[in-house]
Amino acid sequence: MKNIYLPHLAEIVDIKQETPDIKTFKLKFKDQAVEDSFDHKPGQFVEFSIFGEGEAPFCISNSPTRKSGIECSVKRMGKITQALHELDTGDTVGIRGPYGNGFPIEDLKNKNLLFVAGGIGLAPLRSLINYCLDNRNNFKSVTIVNGARTSKDLVYKDEYQAWEKARDTKLYLTVDCQEENWTCMVGVVPKILEQLKPTCQDSVAIVCGPPIMIKYTMPVLLKIGFCPEAIITTLEMKMKCGLGKCGRCNIGNLYVCKDGPVFSYAQLKTLRYEL
Amino acid sequence: MIQKIVTKEELYKLLNYLLQDFEVIGPKELTNRGIFYETIKNPQDLYLGEGFTTEPVKKLFLNPSEWFFKCQYKDSKNSLEEIALTKTKRIIIGVRPCETKGLELLDKVYNSEYKDEFYVNNRNRTVIIGLSCAKPDRNCFCTSMGGSNVESQGTDAILFDRDGKFILEIITDKGKEILGSIGNEPSEEEKKHWQQDKEKRKDLVKTKIKAPEDLDKVFEDPYWEQVSKSCLSCGICTFLCPTCHCFDLVDEQRRRLRCYDGCAFVDFTLQASGENPRPTKKERYRQRVFHKFDYFKKNFGENLCVGCGRCIRYCPVKIDISEIVDKAPV
Amino acid sequence: MIDELKIKARELLKNKQVDLIIGYQRASDGVLAMPCFVDREEDVDKLIWDVYCVYNLANYLKDYAGQKIGIIAKPCDVRSIVVLLQENQLRRENVYIIGVECSGVIDEKRLRLGAKDIQESATFGVKCKSCKSSTPSICDYLFKDKEKKGKISEDKDEYESVRKLEVRSSLERLKFWEEEFSRCIRCYACRQVCPMCYCPKCVADQAMPAWFSKGANLKGNLSWNLIRAIHLGGRCIDCGECERVCPVGIPLRELNKKIEKDIKELFKYEAGANVEQKPLLASFDKDDPGDWIK
Repeated sequence: MKNIYLPHLAEIVDIKQETPDIKTFKLKFKDQAVEDSFDHKPGQFVEFSIFGEGEAPFCISNSPTRKSGIECSVKRMGKITQALHELDTGDTVGIRGPYGNGFPIEDLKNKNLLFVAGGIGLAPLRSLINYCLDNRNNFKSVTIVNGARTSKDLVYKDEYQAWEKARDTKLYLTVDCQEENWTCMVGVVPKILEQLKPTCQDSVAIVCGPPIMIKYTMPVLLKIGFCPEAIITTLEMKMKCGLGKCGRCNIGNLYVCKDGPVFSYAQLKTLRYEL
Repeated sequence: MIQKIVTKEELYKLLNYLLQDFEVIGPKELTNRGIFYETIKNPQDLYLGEGFTTEPVKKLFLNPSEWFFKCQYKDSKNSLEEIALTKTKRIIIGVRPCETKGLELLDKVYNSEYKDEFYVNNRNRTVIIGLSCAKPDRNCFCTSMGGSNVESQGTDAILFDRDGKFILEIITDKGKEILGSIGNEPSEEEKKHWQQDKEKRKDLVKTKIKAPEDLDKVFEDPYWEQVSKSCLSCGICTFLCPTCHCFDLVDEQRRRLRCYDGCAFVDFTLQASGENPRPTKKERYRQRVFHKFDYFKKNFGENLCVGCGRCIRYCPVKIDISEIVDKAPV
Repeated sequence: MIDELKIKARELLKNKQVDLIIGYQRASDGVLAMPCFVDREEDVDKLIWDVYCVYNLANYLKDYAGQKIGIIAKPCDVRSIVVLLQENQLRRENVYIIGVECSGVIDEKRLRLGAKDIQESATFGVKCKSCKSSTPSICDYLFKDKEKKGKISEDKDEYESVRKLEVRSSLERLKFWEEEFSRCIRCYACRQVCPMCYCPKCVADQAMPAWFSKGANLKGNLSWNLIRAIHLGGRCIDCGECERVCPVGIPLRELNKKIEKDIKELFKYEAGANVEQKPLLASFDKDDPGDWIK
C-alpha cells in the first residue's frame, strides 16, 4: 500500500512574474517516470508542497496538449503562497495529484464556448482555452471575456495575441476603471457581459474568478438566456487532503476536491451552495 | 460463532500470557480524570465496568497526531523519508459495540477509494475484544442508530459480564486464534438464559430518537440558528466522536503532520483570502448535523453517528444532538 | 424566586430595555442546565435558576456586541463582566446585569465522574468552597436568595493546593504538568468557554508564524496550556469554567490560581474586583516590584 499523502519531488524550472502579486511556476518531476506518466485534464489541480511550510492546492494552468512541465499560477496571499513566491528556479517542491474532476470536455464539444474570467480566475480557463484551440475542430466559436482590476493585474498577457488570431475566437479584455493608454473595454465583468450579450444558443459559459465576480455574473448569464446547466464554474475552497477525507471542502454531500472543483450552476443550486 | 463461559481469572491469565506477543490496550480508570484507553501492563488494571471511556477507540486507529513523512535536506538536495509504520500486534479489550461500529463507518472513508495506509495498518494489526453494555446511560441512543449495545458489530470477540463471570462470544478467526483456548462451553440451559439476558439488556437503551430521512428539506430553517446559539465552537464533540474524522495537514520542522480538526472551529474553512463559507455557528453546527445525518447517508447509506452519547456527555453547554435531530422541523 | 426573575425578564423585554436575555434553561436530561437565549416575552418561562446553573454566561456577550443584553450573572460571573468592562470589550449601557445571590453551584465535573448525590455540599464546585461573596459586586437588579441557605464557604484556604504544588522542586512540578498536559487533546474548549479569551485570532490559530505545534503532542500542549494561563494573568477571575469543561481532566485552575496568587502578592491586584480600576497590564506604578526581572 502506498502513502497517499506522499508527494513527488519536483523542481521549479521556470518562474514568470505575471502581475505584481502573481507568479507562474513551471515544474518538472525529479523522477522521469513520474513526469512521463503524469496526465491531467483541464480544470484539475495539484497539491503543492513547500517543505517546512505546508501544502496547498493550485489548479494546473497549462493544457495537457502542451506538455513541457506542470504550470501553476499563484497569487501571493497566505503562508504557503508567500513562501512559494520566495522560491527560485532550481528549488525543490512537492507535488501530488492531479486531483478533481476537471472540465466536462465531452459536454463542451460542438458548442459555442464563452469563457468568463476575472483576475487569476483565468488560470484554470487557460488550460481549457488552449486545449480547445489545440483541438479547434471539436468546438464551435470561442469567446473569452477576461477582466482584472487594472491592466497590471491581467495574467498570461503574452498569449492574448495567439488567442485573438485563432479561428473563430474573440477576446475581450476589460479593466475595472479607465486607465491611460488602455484601448480595450472598461467596466466590471458582469457589466461587460451585459453589453456584449454573447449568444446562448448551443453555448456553454465557463466562469472563474473571485467570488464576488461569480456572484454578479450568474444573474447576467441567466438573463442572457443561459440555462443553469450550461453555466460551469470551478470553485475555490480551502482544501487539505485532495482525497475527500479531511472534510473542510464539502458542499452538500460532495467534496470540492474529489467531486469538483468543476460544477454546473444547476448543481450548485441543488447543493445549496451560496455564491 | 463460538460461545464460552470464562472466569475473570482465566481471562487475566490469558492476557498475561498474550502480553508477551501483543500490546494490550484497554480501559483504565484514572483518578479525577475518568476512564481512558491505556496500554495495560497488568490485566488487574483493566476497567471492565459499566462506565464509558472519555476518548473513543478511534484515537487508536486515526492517531490524533500522525507524522506522514519527513523532508531531508542534505548536500543541498531534498529527499523524502517515509515514516515507518508500527507493526506491533495489539489487542484492544473492553471496546463498546458502538465504538467498533464507528470503526466500520470510518472504514468507508479510510479503507475504501483512497486507502489511508496509516489507518489500514492500525486496523490490520489489531484484535478487538468488545464489551457489551450492561448499563447504557440516558445519553446513549445506539439502538436508534441501527446499532446495538449487546451485539458484536465489528469486534473479533465480545464479552458479557454476568454473575461475576464473562460470557464470551468469539466472532472472527482472529478472535478464535487468541481466545479459542479458554473457558468452557455453556450448557443449553445457560445459553437460553443468556439469550434472554441479551434481550433484556437491549431494552436498557431508553433514549429513542428518529433521525429524519429528508433533513435536506430544512437546510434553510431558522431552527439551526436557534439550536446552535449556545455552541462554543470548541472541538470536544468532534474530537471525542467515534466517527468524526476531519483533519488538518501542517508542516512542522520539515515534517508533515496530520492532526484532528473539526467543523465547529471558526478557522476550519477560513481561506487565506479571508473568505469563510461557514462564518457563523449556524453554518458550522448545521454542517456537523448534516454531515452525520444527511451527507454521509447520501454517500454511504448510513448515518455517521453511532449514538454513543459522548458529544452530549461532554458538551460544555449540554447541547444534545439526539434531541436536535429528533426535533428537526421536517 | 424564579417567578420574580421571570417577571423581571418579561418587563425588560417588554420595555425594550434589552434586546435579549441570556439565562439558563433545563437541559434535555431534565436535571442539568444549559444556556438560554430569550428575545420574546413568551419564551421567558423557559428560564430557571438553581444549583445546576454552572455556566459563566458572560462568555456569550461577545457574540452580541452592540446589542443591549440582559444577563443573569452569579457573583463570579459578574467579576468577568467587570474585566470585560475594564478592558473596553463591553459598554456598561449595553449590558443589564441581573445579579443573583448564589450559595454555590454543583461540581459538574465530579458529577460526570460519578458523584452520586449532588445536593451534598461536598459536590459543590471547588471554586465555590473558597468563594468569599454570595452577592454580585455590581448589578442592575439583584435577586435575593430568600431561603438564604447562605454561603457554603468552608473558609478554606483558596491556595491550599497551589501551596502544596509550590513546595515541590521545579523538576517535580515539570513532571507533574507534563503528565497532565500530555493528556491534552487540543480541543480548545478551555479557550472557547473562557469569557476572557476574546482575541479575534488566537495565538494557537496563527499560521504566520505558527508559534507552536498544532498537534496533540507534549511540546505543543505544554506551549498552548502555559500561554493560555499566562495570557490570563491579572485577568482570570476564577470562574473555573476551563477546568470544568476539560474532557481529559487537566487541573487548569491550579495554574490560574498560582498566577492569581503571585499577582496578588506582587501587585496587590485582584482581577474583576473593581470596575474603576485600570487593568493590571495596562497600568504602571513606580513602586511595582521589579527584582524578578533578571
